[in-house]
Amino acid sequence: MIEVLVLVALGSPIVGGLVAWRLDVRRATRVAVAATALATIAALSLVWMAFDRGPIVAAGGVVRIDGLSAWLLLVVSAVVLLAIVASPRYLASELAQGHIRETDPGRYYALVLWFIASLLAAPLLDNLGLLWVAIETATGVSALLVGFHRTPGALEAAWKYLILGSVGIGFALLGTLLLYASSVEHLGETSDALNWSRLMSSGGALDPGLVRLGFLFALVGYGTKIGLAPFHTWLPDAHSQAPSPVSAILSGVTLAVALYALIRFHLVADAALGPGFSAMLLVAFGLLSLAVALPFLVAQGDLKRLLAYSSIEHMGLLTIAIGFGGPLALLGATVHLLAHGLAKAIAFITAGDLVQQYGSRRLGRLKGTLAAAPESGPGLLAATLLVGGLPPSAVFAAEFAILVGGVERGWTIAAAVAALLLALGLVAVAFHVVPMGWGERGRRVSIRQASPAMATLVAGPLGVVVVLGLWTPEPLARALAAVVAVLGGAHG
Amino acid sequence: MNGDIAIRAVDIASAAIVLLGVWLAITRSIGEGTWLLAGQSLCMGTAALIVGATRGSIELMIGGLLAIAVRAVVLPIVLRRLLRDSPVRHERHAYLGPRASAAAAIVIVFVAALAVDGTTGFPGGGSIHALPAAVAEVLTGLLLISTRRKSLSMIIGLLVFENGVTLAAFAITAGMPLVVELGISFDLLIVMAVVQVHARRMLTTFGSLSTDRLRSLRG
Repeated sequence: MIEVLVLVALGSPIVGGLVAWRLDVRRATRVAVAATALATIAALSLVWMAFDRGPIVAAGGVVRIDGLSAWLLLVVSAVVLLAIVASPRYLASELAQGHIRETDPGRYYALVLWFIASLLAAPLLDNLGLLWVAIETATGVSALLVGFHRTPGALEAAWKYLILGSVGIGFALLGTLLLYASSVEHLGETSDALNWSRLMSSGGALDPGLVRLGFLFALVGYGTKIGLAPFHTWLPDAHSQAPSPVSAILSGVTLAVALYALIRFHLVADAALGPGFSAMLLVAFGLLSLAVALPFLVAQGDLKRLLAYSSIEHMGLLTIAIGFGGPLALLGATVHLLAHGLAKAIAFITAGDLVQQYGSRRLGRLKGTLAAAPESGPGLLAATLLVGGLPPSAVFAAEFAILVGGVERGWTIAAAVAALLLALGLVAVAFHVVPMGWGERGRRVSIRQASPAMATLVAGPLGVVVVLGLWTPEPLARALAAVVAVLGGAHG
Repeated sequence: MNGDIAIRAVDIASAAIVLLGVWLAITRSIGEGTWLLAGQSLCMGTAALIVGATRGSIELMIGGLLAIAVRAVVLPIVLRRLLRDSPVRHERHAYLGPRASAAAAIVIVFVAALAVDGTTGFPGGGSIHALPAAVAEVLTGLLLISTRRKSLSMIIGLLVFENGVTLAAFAITAGMPLVVELGISFDLLIVMAVVQVHARRMLTTFGSLSTDRLRSLRG
């Protein structure tokens, strides 16, 4: 049963991609929506089962779904579904404006579906080597999506993404290798010596020197993919040049998948070395990312780059939260992962919509959006403020929990600095985004017709982000507890 | 096969990898670079194959064969096909000239030898020269990526870097578990497919594979 669900979750986007490649827009859209729906239904069933019965192990130990993987699977499913549903409108506009060719949508859907398959695979795998393979596959496929428009800017961004991403991920492979080496003496040269659950239960028997070195390489490697400063330079280019629904996936969950991999390394390092070593590094790099993102948020002139730097900021915060540890900060991180994923996805989808309508990404040109774009105008405003952490957003609740949790664990100065940087970040984003709503729009900018479908797509996820900030339903509270337990080092 | 012969073979392969790495840093011809890359991959795969045969490790032998098939045959063929269609065949105006890169490559060899010195006793045993060669290869790859301007040279650098990581895996743990090894090779093929598509896009948009035009995105 579980094997079948895994097969459907990964197989339907892979096969769907093969089918969609040569189809026209209309048929490719149908295939993509059907394949993604099937995959997410299967993935969500797995999520349900994992939270209901505890960790699932299947396919001879290759697949292992604990609370943390289930949570990531949930976030990935939600965000990729949003991106696929937003794609037809995006592609129709690109085709109408002559930015892409008739044959491009089929390719687009094929690549997005393969991208989705690799993202869904990552949280399912217990083996850290195979986790690496899934993330590297995601990098390769998404590089083609970043360069999808073939403009000089898009090709430059894709090139940087490919080269820096590959070097980064190469370091992560070295880290994985060193972790394997640290366990070989104890576990032997068996194929499951790289399984996270085996490494966790071996804990103190691992070679501490190799674990330490392995974590450092993983930090640099996966840190590059997470967008941690100073390895973040590819991120604003890639996330701003990619087609907007793809940006939604990149910012909403791809970064989180890389963070997930780093968290697995961090937990092994904690188990083998005792707390302190990896936590300190995570907090330091997280704070650096917050500090580096701030000036670029303040002095930003490009809407999509603004959102990309906001992602660097929030990934920094998440990294800090993992470093803080303790139930409260970890609970905050868990909620943040979902809330940021949803709200950032909507922010990129609505931003892309506005960019198509206005024909520019310059913040100075995007004026009067509330009147001109009935869904995307207010949608972008709400999404960016909610991402920024304006109450009653769940992001706000999460940030509050993370900072208080940090103080409780003795990270007072780090928490204070993070709070200051986050507040300034919110002000900077609001400073850019709020004025977009009013003012004179260019004469050639037409007013969009209201679309109930788009309104639902935008309002639904944002509604979830607001509700989660105010109220946690009982089943969700139990799920959150399960995630926090894994983040706290449970591996049974 | 005798264990001593295996150690000898790995030593020779490691020395060849280091020499080819220095040559890679010196050469300005991208076509020559693809041959050197293939040579490094072949040395690495053969070394893994021989050690696998002596130790009776099927996994290591398959890993070696995989390395030869993918890294020494398929990837260089893909690179040479791209090179045929590209007007840029030589690395001119690199950030480091031939002499400076040669010096850097030699420094790298010494750094690698010193850095890994004293870390014997890794499981896997055998030659003590494979790991320094792997570290040198990783660093040479990084040197090529960061000092070259033509995209194909940078891809060669990336693959050298990747080879170094794999050689390290052979040297430290006698290779990763087989399923991971297969996954890594699969990913290399994906990356090369991506590079190929991307290079074709660059050729149609810019008419060249130089990265000089890729400097507009800032801030």
